[in-house]
Amino acid sequence: MMASPRITTPVTVIGGFLGAGKTTYLNHLLRNGPGRYAVLVNDFGAVNIDAGLIAKHDGETMTLTNGCVCCSIGSGFLDTLGRILDGGTRFDHIIIEASGVGDPWRIAEIALVEPSLRLNAVIVLADASRIGQLLAEQRVGDTVRGQFDRCNLILLNKIDLLDRATLDKARAELVALRPGVAIIETTAHTLPGLPDGISNPASRFAATDAADHECNFRRWAYRRDGVFDRDRLEAALGALPPQLLRLKGPCSVTEPAHPQLLQMVGRDWALTPVEPDSSNDNDILLVGIGTANLPPAATLDAILDAALIPPLTTTAELNRRAVTSNI
Amino acid sequence: MAQDTVVFSARKIVTMNASRPSATHVAVREGRIVAVGSQDEIASLGGGKVDDRFKDKVLLPGFVEGHSHIMEGMMWSLPYVGAFDRRSPEGKVVEGVPTIDTIVERLQHAEKAMTDPEAPLFAWGFDPLHIGSISLTRQDLDRVSTTRPIMVVHASFHISNVNTIVLQRAELDRTTNISGVVMGRDGEPSGEVQGIAARFRVFRVLGSNPLSGNLSVDDVNRYASSCCVQGVTTVTDLHNDLADQTIEVYRTASRRDDFSVRLVPAMASVSHSPDAGIAKIKALTATNNDKLHYGIVKLVVDGSIQGFTARLRWPGYHNGAQNGLWYIAPEELPGIVAAYHAAGIQMHIHTNGDEATEVAIEAVEAAQIATPKPDHRHTLQHCQMADAAQFKRMKALGICVNLFANHVYYWGDSHYDLTMGPERANRLDATGTALRTGVPFAIHSDAPVTPLSPLFTAWCAVNRVTSSGRVLGKDTEALTVQQALNAITVDAAYTLKLDHLVGSIETGKYADFVVLDADPLEVAPETIKDINIWGTVVGGIVREAPRA
Ligand SMILES: [Zn+2]
Repeated sequence: MMASPRITTPVTVIGGFLGAGKTTYLNHLLRNGPGRYAVLVNDFGAVNIDAGLIAKHDGETMTLTNGCVCCSIGSGFLDTLGRILDGGTRFDHIIIEASGVGDPWRIAEIALVEPSLRLNAVIVLADASRIGQLLAEQRVGDTVRGQFDRCNLILLNKIDLLDRATLDKARAELVALRPGVAIIETTAHTLPGLPDGISNPASRFAATDAADHECNFRRWAYRRDGVFDRDRLEAALGALPPQLLRLKGPCSVTEPAHPQLLQMVGRDWALTPVEPDSSNDNDILLVGIGTANLPPAATLDAILDAALIPPLTTTAELNRRAVTSNI
Repeated sequence: MAQDTVVFSARKIVTMNASRPSATHVAVREGRIVAVGSQDEIASLGGGKVDDRFKDKVLLPGFVEGHSHIMEGMMWSLPYVGAFDRRSPEGKVVEGVPTIDTIVERLQHAEKAMTDPEAPLFAWGFDPLHIGSISLTRQDLDRVSTTRPIMVVHASFHISNVNTIVLQRAELDRTTNISGVVMGRDGEPSGEVQGIAARFRVFRVLGSNPLSGNLSVDDVNRYASSCCVQGVTTVTDLHNDLADQTIEVYRTASRRDDFSVRLVPAMASVSHSPDAGIAKIKALTATNNDKLHYGIVKLVVDGSIQGFTARLRWPGYHNGAQNGLWYIAPEELPGIVAAYHAAGIQMHIHTNGDEATEVAIEAVEAAQIATPKPDHRHTLQHCQMADAAQFKRMKALGICVNLFANHVYYWGDSHYDLTMGPERANRLDATGTALRTGVPFAIHSDAPVTPLSPLFTAWCAVNRVTSSGRVLGKDTEALTVQQALNAITVDAAYTLKLDHLVGSIETGKYADFVVLDADPLEVAPETIKDINIWGTVVGGIVREAPRA
């Protein structure tokens, strides 16, 4: 059966224990969002937006002059999200704050089953000064550890408060918990934008702390003519480095033969049938977003090339056909 | 004596006033009790109209249900598919359906009665633990309909079963890979759905969530009718966002003269920041009337024991299941508790597991040290696993407790076998420990989780027998009938700070009575749940319970 192509809205879930900096991050995204964001927060009171930037405030919902909307979840999360989906306004991104003791993956699962949504990322913040202690804490350790279980990106936050040795120790704790997951070190003033591929960082606000948006993420594009072998593709996707947060685009595979849309978030990926798009020059056009320390494009290209039929081997051919770029 | 005084005479009046335990006559004026005593004593008041319709009956103070929910009134608009008999608001005994076949039969019956072929069929009350851990599958529900969406909500309200058409419309299939969609042996979804993502998806294709629909006056009246059937004259709604629409419905319903129960809503702390919550409760309290009593707040710290979401101290769950969930973080709770405490607002704090109880006790202790408040009566709700040491701390801090006695019957076997093991299960809902340590306590149903029926709740606390017949800690934790009656009347009123108004039959209080066919203190303790309830008197107005 052919699934009809749908327009989907990306969803990013922001998790992390109390005090990790979720609210600061959400404030940052609301103010500097390069697109029209819908942001669902637990506590309106904590959102700190200059009165001049608020176009409308009706108790449950705050509309900003940049088009972003901030909704208070209260106790009715499902109703709040339902209202956003049914409200008639198309958002470029939906950002959901998980509660300080909540499991962000449980919320992220909504984007896996709601056809009008797709999962962009699960980002968990950690307060570098106390994450080590929290992970081992008797009452909340299991809750805190669980929050990292399925995230694709960790923001190790508040690093300006620490010396390098303490920071390395915190980092090591997280690496031990989630070997290989992408970690970005941040302070309240160097929080990144979303790894969402929206390439225009120009905010309608002259925010001074938006400068880091560009350099925190790197883009990688993979274009080829040809077909992936289904089994080798599976192996290749598994071999991609954890710094790659997302990968998406049309491709051809041996089984099923119909053109497919590949979508990968973290380690989860899926193929769904799509209509062939004649405007594409290539059979395969995958675009990935990774952290700034994403390995060189040639390294990534080589991993996927191994899944092609027949596998590409010569460097010349690779150089000829590979197209890579940074945002 | 004024001519508008009515003197009710009864075979016996059990007053629950320790200073005057029994009487035969009670005089009522303007909805309140003028005098209680013998015929001679009442005669000294000089007149009044005698009403002897209760001459063969026994009067007790109307029961006080200190922990139940308005959802009890909402659920009865839907078919009930629990394993145990349950009495409807119309007074009808709805038989339990303890097998898959009888569940399907009941649903088929309900389905046939529906006129709109597209409307979804919702049902409630199912618990696999009560039918030998057998699951209800989509194939079972497909026997009811393959075209009409069907959803059966479990007794816990956290899990549901749906039929194949719902799964198809929700596009949940063998490729779905989320934790809340349980797969069957055939690799396809079994129809069991739980968790936020699956619920969101299913409710979207069903077009509504029957559990979050707008409250109507009919729902409130159905709740009041159930109260009358069960002899309850003061009832809680112990977790409510108190949206404007709900407030309006409560105002409208409670102002009618024939509204037959006093309603005590607790604002859900989760729906407001403490500052906003405090302001809201204070504003609402100013609108209170005789039958509507705002003023308390509900905090939920952990989940449920049988759902393995309660937070347990070491060594945790008996079967090794991983520890449960915090709904409020242990380090966040003290701030919330301190704010409500300092504002003089009484808190009802849900703690099922003993680790959650510990965190709540610590939070109240810190609040008491920061802002000492005599007689705060903050009450731990459920508090099912507390040990003697925790009760002693509660006593020292002035904390009350409302114990979930019905759990002994409905999930006592699960606690014995799976969640707690024998030792801890035997002191489940430790009413005896509460008595020995002097912690003021009530007992409750948490309706609609278990049936609203204080006499049954008292029976559970007296007999401590599980649904399989196992007896749990009766020698050490059981109450006498007198003690159990205290816990469903005057002591339950104490946990709501309403014991100056209701909970006993004595001069000055509201004329709120339950009318029984027999005296619970005289019948065999194993039969107190079977005493027939004739009806209630609320504010002097007599209401015979409906019988269908
Ligand atoms: Zn409850």
